[in-house]
Formats: sequence, structure tokens, C-alpha cells
Amino acid sequence: MNPTIPRWWSGLGKALWAAALALVAISFWMASRAPIEVQMGPVQKIVYVHVPSAIATLIAFGVTFAASIAYLATKDWRWDGLAASSCEIGMVFATVVMITGPLWARSAWNTWWTWEPRLTTFLILWILYAGYHVVRASLRSESRRTISSVMGIVFFVNLPLVWKSIEWWRGSLHPKNVTMVPEMRVTLLVGMAAWMIFYAAALLQRLRLEWHTEARAFSDTAAPAPSEGRAQP
Amino acid sequence: MRTILAVTMKDLRLHARDARFLATLALFSASLVLILSVAFGPIFGDPAKEASATLWGALFFAGVLGLTRALDLESESGGGDALRLTGADPYALYLGKTIANFLLVSADFLILLPIVSIFFDVGNLRVLPGVLGVAALGLVGYAAWGTLFAALARGIRARELLLSVVLFPSLVPLWIGAVKLTNALWGDGTIDPVRDWIKVLAVMDVLGLALAAFLYELIQEATE
Amino acid sequence: MILRAEGIQKRFDTRVVLRDAGIEIVPGSITLLLGANGSGKTTLANILATLLSPDRGSITVDGEPLSRRRTAARRSIGFASHRPLLYLGLTPLENLSFFGGLAGVPSPARRAMELLERLGMAPFARAPVERFSRGMLQRIVLARALLTDPKILLLDEPYTGLDETGVAVVNEVLRDARERGTGSLVITHEPERVRPLATRVLRMHAGRVEEAA
Repeated sequence: MNPTIPRWWSGLGKALWAAALALVAISFWMASRAPIEVQMGPVQKIVYVHVPSAIATLIAFGVTFAASIAYLATKDWRWDGLAASSCEIGMVFATVVMITGPLWARSAWNTWWTWEPRLTTFLILWILYAGYHVVRASLRSESRRTISSVMGIVFFVNLPLVWKSIEWWRGSLHPKNVTMVPEMRVTLLVGMAAWMIFYAAALLQRLRLEWHTEARAFSDTAAPAPSEGRAQP
Repeated sequence: MRTILAVTMKDLRLHARDARFLATLALFSASLVLILSVAFGPIFGDPAKEASATLWGALFFAGVLGLTRALDLESESGGGDALRLTGADPYALYLGKTIANFLLVSADFLILLPIVSIFFDVGNLRVLPGVLGVAALGLVGYAAWGTLFAALARGIRARELLLSVVLFPSLVPLWIGAVKLTNALWGDGTIDPVRDWIKVLAVMDVLGLALAAFLYELIQEATE
Repeated sequence: MILRAEGIQKRFDTRVVLRDAGIEIVPGSITLLLGANGSGKTTLANILATLLSPDRGSITVDGEPLSRRRTAARRSIGFASHRPLLYLGLTPLENLSFFGGLAGVPSPARRAMELLERLGMAPFARAPVERFSRGMLQRIVLARALLTDPKILLLDEPYTGLDETGVAVVNEVLRDARERGTGSLVITHEPERVRPLATRVLRMHAGRVEEAA
């Protein structure tokens, strides 16, 4: 199993980044031109970044979940690579959510933080997946992949329960169905598309890094005899 | 099965012989209760609520010590590897350990309960069965998830810290439910308004045990 | 029972410890495995004992892949490493009964006492293992390895820290094993202790197993 990077990745990567950057630029432009919401004013436009980021987060961690299962089933390191990469990018999006959320909340409800379900669940999500990375980084051996996969599965499975619990605990303040005029809706959709493609581009980029790391470790297999003097584990 | 029982007894025996550890555990949880009581006091605005939070908070944190200690017993001289070599069913090993952890943290609960009741002046004999029932339900989940996660944190240096980082957020539903139910019992004397949380606790318990059924063997065999 | 490993490769992080290691343990044999520190002997032993899994290569038990018969294989292989693989807070009797019971040994307590007597540790059966000297501990370690009456015995540095009596006990176990048709692998730095008994001598070098002079 030779971890060379498939040739077509390079082309796909460039295409994705080009599309992502273009779409993001367009979505920002559209957002700036979108009608200003009556009650909140310009700050409402954060939603064009906030909502897609939230969805991207969930998709990213969903991919981690699926890839983790695939790794445990096949023991193919590439699935673990995908899981970890997606998780990393998911963290970035989650951070965006955690920043844009309070900014929005400050404007809408005059408070930086509120214990409303989605925000709280995202906070828990963020902590859990940060833990994923810390645990993963603390393990140096092959067990790292299995342990990471287990975490990827367990955290995701637990998520709906956490969400529901907090909802029950608090009652929902989060706007559920926001009324949007057509221009706003289109802007939002473009924003979603933009950030999805951004996710894909970033994911591919991160996967390349994973491949490189694995290839380097792999090439040491051809190295000369192991050094002496170190006690065996 | 006999395997489960044997593992539970083995763990309990080892804990019982380590008086220093048990004393540390008890003292640590007692000091947590003290700190939180002082933070909430001296006049308690909502004693039932503050008492529940204090009790369960202390349990959660002290429980991590118990979980990692149980883990260390396996790794310090290779007992855990010897367990694998016996060819015993990994899930049975997990259940044995979980029961032992449950008993350990329950013992801690029984120590803290009177202390909290006295400090906050809550509780009475009538609601005691209910409180014990809620505790049992909650601690089963704690032990189930805790044993699973502890195994994950096996090879890592800052074990207690990492265990806390991944365990506590995952157990939020359990935590909320346990505190709410205990609060209701101590405050209103009945759980009727918050009855649904029992379902949450039960689901958490079952989910933890079920996930372990699938995943524990994998974790156990994941070594260097 | 024949335990055979072929093409074993194992690396830890970026360090390759086993490159293309192969070994065969046949009934009634005593194989000596020598090699410098860090040459991978213990890693190979751990892999044969099924505690570690190789990155590449195959391990078969009587021709069948180990992974398919792991539980049965584990109960047929007795492993004594330089880690005790015991619970220090328990007595020898408790340790052996516990592991014996889990491994499916009938009447584990009786078997435990039997082994303790055979290895001269009966007087200490009820003292916690953590108080034992190196030599005493080693005998309990051996006892645990012998619990299931294994067909393969893997001993990693069994002579370390033992006095003459201790060495004699180990060699007695090996002699007895050979007679019963058990195949043994002994990894050691002190080959003189066991060379007279050995039926084959191998050496670990550059991640491979070779015949030694």
C-alpha cells in the first residue's frame, strides 16, 4: 500500500479552491447587497456565515463519524486520515460558529452568551472534538487510529442526546424559522454552497498533508538496520 | 457470568487493599463538597438546587480519580495484558470493571449524601428511596461511559485531565437529569414535573453499555 | 502445536524494529533467541504472544491464521515476559486462581496450588505479590504462564536477577515442557544458562531472525 497522492488530486484541489474563493467572494458581495433586516440591522448578515458554518461543522463531524466506522471495519489508514482531517476542518467551522453566534446574540438579545440549545450543544461539540485532537496527538502509535475512530463514533452518537437534553433543559430561544425575503434566501443558499465547497477544498488540502506524513513514515521502512542501545518496550 | 463477577471482585479486592487511595478519594470528594458549600453559602438561596449541584459535581470529579485508578491497576504491572491473554470475553471484562467502578462511586455517593444533607439541610427519609434510585440510575451511566472512556485514555500521560475533558461534555444529559431529579426530590418532594429526565438517564445508561458492546474489544486490542 | 511467524514487520512511529522476521516453534523444542539490546526480541515475543499485532506478516497456529483462533491460541500459549503480568496487590493464589478461572482452567484454585508447590512457592501463596523479591516474583510469573498447560511457552529474559536456585527452577520447567511436547522459546542475554538444553539457537539481527553459530 503505497501512499502516493493520486495525480488527479492536484487538479481537483486547484479547481475546488478556485471555486471556493470565487463563491465566497460572491456570497460576501451578495450579503453586502442583501436587504437589511428590519429588526436587527446590518448585524443580521452574520447569519450568512453563521448558518453555513454550522451546517459545515455538522457535515464535517458526520464525515468523521462515517470514516471512523469505515476505518474500524477495514483498518485502512486512509479512512482514519479522512476522519482526522475532516474533524480538524470541522473544528475551524465550529470556532466560526462559536464566534459569530455570540456576535449575533449580542445584537439580537443583548447578551453575549445564552444557554440556548444549539449554541450550548456546539460548545460541547467543540470541547469534545478538541479533546479528540488532544488525545490523538498524545498517542504516537498505531493505537492512535483505533482510539480516534472510537471517539469519532461515540461523540457523534451522543450528540443528538446532548442536543435534546439541552433543549429540554432550556427551551428553545434560537430562531427556528426565520422569515426571509427571496433575496435573503438566495444569498443564504449561495453562502451555503460557497462554504460547502470551501470545506471540500480544505479537506482535500488537509488530506494531502495526511498522505505526505504517512509517506514519510513509510519510506523509513527502507532505512538501514535499527540503532542499538535502546531498551525494548 | 462468572467472568464478570470474578473481574468485579478482583477490582474491589485491589481497591480495598489500598486504604490510602480510598481515603484520598473520600477526602477529595468531601473537600469538593466543602468548597461548593462555602461558595453557595452561608445562606442558601435555593438549598435543594445548590445541594444537588454540589453532590453531583463532587461525584463527577472525584469519580474520575476512581476511574483512572482502576485503569492504573491494569497497566502498572501488566495485569491488563494478562487479562487479554486469558482469552476471556472482552465485554465481560468491561462489565466486570464497570460494576466495580459503579460500586466504588456509589460508595462515594453514600459518604457524600449525609454530608450534603446536613450542610444544606435538605432531604428526609421519605424521599430517600427516590434519591437513591436516581443516584443508582445516574451512576450506572457514569460508570458505563467512564469505564469506556478510561480505556481510551489508557496510554496517555495526562489521563485524568483528558478523561475529564471528554467524559464530562458527553455526560451532560446525565448530569442535567441527575441534578434536576435530585433537586425535585429535595425541593418539591416529588419528581412529577421532571419525570421525563428518568428516560434520559435510562437512555444514557443503555447507550453507554451498548456502545461498549461494540467498541470495547477494539479499544482493548488497540495497543502499540 | 506449531507456531509459525513469517515476514513479520513492525515499526514504532518511524523506527522499524522488525523488518522481515520469521520463526517457527515446534513441539518438544527449546529455541534460544539471542540478540543485542534493542534488536527486537521482546517485540517479536510480544507479537507471538498476541499482545502486539504486526504491521505486516502472518502468524499461523498449525497452519491456521492466528487471528481466526485467537482465544484458543491465547490459552495454548504461555507467556512470561519481564513485566510481571500480575496484580501486585493480590496474593499468588489469588492471581493464579483469577487468571486460571478466566482462561477456562477447571478447578483454578487447585491448579494454582499445584503450580505453586511445584515451583517451591507454596509457603508464600497468601502474601501479596508486591512484597516479593525478584526471584520469587519470577516463579509466580512462570506459574501464570503454565496455568493452562500451554503447548507453546514463550520466556522473555527468564533468568534476569535469579540466583542459582531460581535458574534451576526455570530450567526444570523447560526440561519438563520439552518432555511433554511443548515448544519453548527462550530469549536471554545469558545463553550459557540454557544452551545445554537448547535444541536450536537463533539470533536477532537487523530486524531479522537468523541461525546462530
